[in-house]
Amino acid sequence: MDTVHFVIDKPQRWDSSFDPDMSEAAVTRLLGIRPFSEMDVTKFSKRTPLRGILKNDARIRRFKNGEIIVRAGDYGSSAFLVLSGHARVVLNPGLPASMLGRRKSQRKGLFEIVAQLWTNPRDPEVRTQAELEQDTGVKSRSGSQGAGVFLQDVPRILDEHKTATMSAGDFFGEIAALSRTSRTATIFAVGDATELLEIRWQGLRDLLRFDDHLRHHIDRIYRERTLATHLREIPIFKRLNDEQLKRVIAQTQFGTYGDYDWSGDYKRLAREGKHSPEKETIIAQEGDYPNGVVLIRSGFARLSQRFGHGHRTLNYLGAGCEFGLREIAHNWRQRTDAVPFQQTLRVIGYTHVIVVPTPVMEEVVLPTVPPEDLPALFTPGELAETEVSETTRKLDAGAKIGPELMEFLTENRYFNGTSSMVIDLERCTRCDDCVRACATTNEGNPRFLRHGQISGRIMVANSCMHCADPVCLIGCPTGAIHRGQIGGEVLVNQATCIGCSICSNNCPYEAIRMVEIREEDGAFMVDKDMKPIVKATKCDKCSDQIGGPACERSCPHGALKRMDMNNLDAFAKWLHR
Amino acid sequence: MKGFVRRRLLWVGLLVAATISVVSVFPVWAGATTRTAYLTGWLLFGLMVLLTGYNWFKKIPYLPLGRSELWLQFHIYVGLFTGVLFLLHVGGRWPTGWFELVLTILYLIVMASGVLGIFISRGWPKRLTARGGEVPFERIPVIRRELRERAEALALSTVPEAKSATVAEFYLRRVHDFFGGPRNFLSHLFEIRLPFNALQSDFTDLKRFLNEREKQVADQLMALVRQKDGLDYQHALQLTLRLWLFIHIPITYSLMLWAIAHIVLVYGFSAGAR
Repeated sequence: MDTVHFVIDKPQRWDSSFDPDMSEAAVTRLLGIRPFSEMDVTKFSKRTPLRGILKNDARIRRFKNGEIIVRAGDYGSSAFLVLSGHARVVLNPGLPASMLGRRKSQRKGLFEIVAQLWTNPRDPEVRTQAELEQDTGVKSRSGSQGAGVFLQDVPRILDEHKTATMSAGDFFGEIAALSRTSRTATIFAVGDATELLEIRWQGLRDLLRFDDHLRHHIDRIYRERTLATHLREIPIFKRLNDEQLKRVIAQTQFGTYGDYDWSGDYKRLAREGKHSPEKETIIAQEGDYPNGVVLIRSGFARLSQRFGHGHRTLNYLGAGCEFGLREIAHNWRQRTDAVPFQQTLRVIGYTHVIVVPTPVMEEVVLPTVPPEDLPALFTPGELAETEVSETTRKLDAGAKIGPELMEFLTENRYFNGTSSMVIDLERCTRCDDCVRACATTNEGNPRFLRHGQISGRIMVANSCMHCADPVCLIGCPTGAIHRGQIGGEVLVNQATCIGCSICSNNCPYEAIRMVEIREEDGAFMVDKDMKPIVKATKCDKCSDQIGGPACERSCPHGALKRMDMNNLDAFAKWLHR
Repeated sequence: MKGFVRRRLLWVGLLVAATISVVSVFPVWAGATTRTAYLTGWLLFGLMVLLTGYNWFKKIPYLPLGRSELWLQFHIYVGLFTGVLFLLHVGGRWPTGWFELVLTILYLIVMASGVLGIFISRGWPKRLTARGGEVPFERIPVIRRELRERAEALALSTVPEAKSATVAEFYLRRVHDFFGGPRNFLSHLFEIRLPFNALQSDFTDLKRFLNEREKQVADQLMALVRQKDGLDYQHALQLTLRLWLFIHIPITYSLMLWAIAHIVLVYGFSAGAR
């Protein structure tokens, strides 16, 4: 019997170019400029030649005087090389939020709150002129030339703020792009002839892989600027003197796992029901020799242990967590009785880690730690799996909230939420007071759906979770979606949102909606081509209200709670209340 | 001790303490003055105003007036306490005049609907969760229509395929009406499975007259019936969880109006409060 086959092309690395208009002539020009002119093209693989990287993973951008290139606090997935002209880095203290195209976080006064009784509009998604007017000092641009935000009074900014100049050949933005951390400074163009090469994360990763010079350059910057500060924040490294810290920094290794833009893949796999923990990349495997302490710098990792023929999730580790320290400390003290890794560490989505090798730990770090501060030794019973230590018990979040719920949270990546809307269905009467409260507080527009994934009696509703790793922030062209200054909530500035949908498409939890906005008289707002003006909307955790999230306050049965899913102890306490 | 148990004990303790205080103070009042009904009446009315205020509180969630959960606890236990005050106020006697009779009946309806509300609000969410098939109430008609369309298409599909109208006729006779709207409302509320079991039994009987293809269709049809039954269950319970408020709240406002009229009449036909 004949069978019908659907023939499709296997997806290729460069199916989607960063800039489809990037010309061969431009690439040839770039190959003549440092650092590319100094790169050894023979070291690049045939599948990803240098020319191909520049053609497909880079684009040339021209900025005008005062145009912001990167904003402090933004999440970006690309690095920049100055080709010509100048850019200025604003040193600490940075520019105020209003100058960066963001709205200053502020709570409503009591009168403004009471006034909502009579000021709420009758039509949905109404925006007032005041809401759409950007604060002074900045204006946004959208259209065919790309979107951007301009500083209005550059001479005054140069007078009032300390800045440093970047000129042709300078690289910036690579640390934030590679480690998926927020940009630490704002950089803007000076003069109308600033030309930059923007290299997306994938291209930068390949350049680093094949070019030793660039890798050493970025490696050095990373060690100098970031690593020392990061290590100093970790208790076990606190007692190191400068000399010892230098030794540790010199031998520390970095690793980036998974996909920077994991949300797209995740959404596809989830839709197809193909997601499986066994397919996740392993950072460190149970039973292997512990060759270093793994410190998670950004993203998340799943901590699991063999259970029957599968793996049981014990916990998920986020930025600031470590893995393997207990094993290494045990082996250092009990040299005749070495133990391998007791759990497996897997990448969930994207994980950036720092690995401090075992010899450095043993020679430099562990001798500085008082014995009482070292992790407990493994007991024979623990190694024989006949008993569970207090350390493991603390780590085993699944034991506190139930293994099924643990798997549910991990599978659906709800650990990302710092303010997930969790509903106890055994107490929820489905009265929708939460939805009504949300709508009334947000001028008649509910910002969530009381609907979502369910495990047992727990539902995680479709509402913005204000993620620890906010994928939605990646790629916003105007910085309209940003973290608030008061509680770190993820907010959308309606004035600078250009309705491009990047944030909405990136959000793995489908918590951002694009809406057509209206004027105060109820008419749809349109642009000059008579197309409706679209804005991104989402839960802002009632950041402008005195009382906090209306949904939580309005639940008469205490069934709805905004939970930080990284605090599983609090979650367990709430579950068993 | 778990949080909910601790909270319940606290509120029950407060209710018991308030009841003992009022009941023990009442004879002293009664001995000191002949107008104790004024005291209990005004206290009762004041608490009723506060209790009615909960409905207004819910309409203005942006005002920083505390958590609704705490207000509901206050509403429940103060509501129960009004029962004690009401008994003291009427002196344990059934009213004889029509005006007071209406007032008493209104009060009893509000109290009974409130108690029913607590009962179902605490118990039924567990039933909804245990049954599964969670669905937003507003989506139920849409899903019901989809199920009906699928069932109709399935039943009709057997006519040309099996060249027999047995399943289609059975559908028209026994199943069509079931998909027509919400069914077995009371059965679902009281967890009575008789109507569903009867339909299931009819399906089993039908299979004797079907060929293999028709049996497959009958099984698929039965699966849709199960889905519809689950949807009806959600509808019946969720609707009741909302409907009781449509008794409790309007009757509360009627009670308040009647109580105001009662106060006016009392003062109108007396020499005033003493």
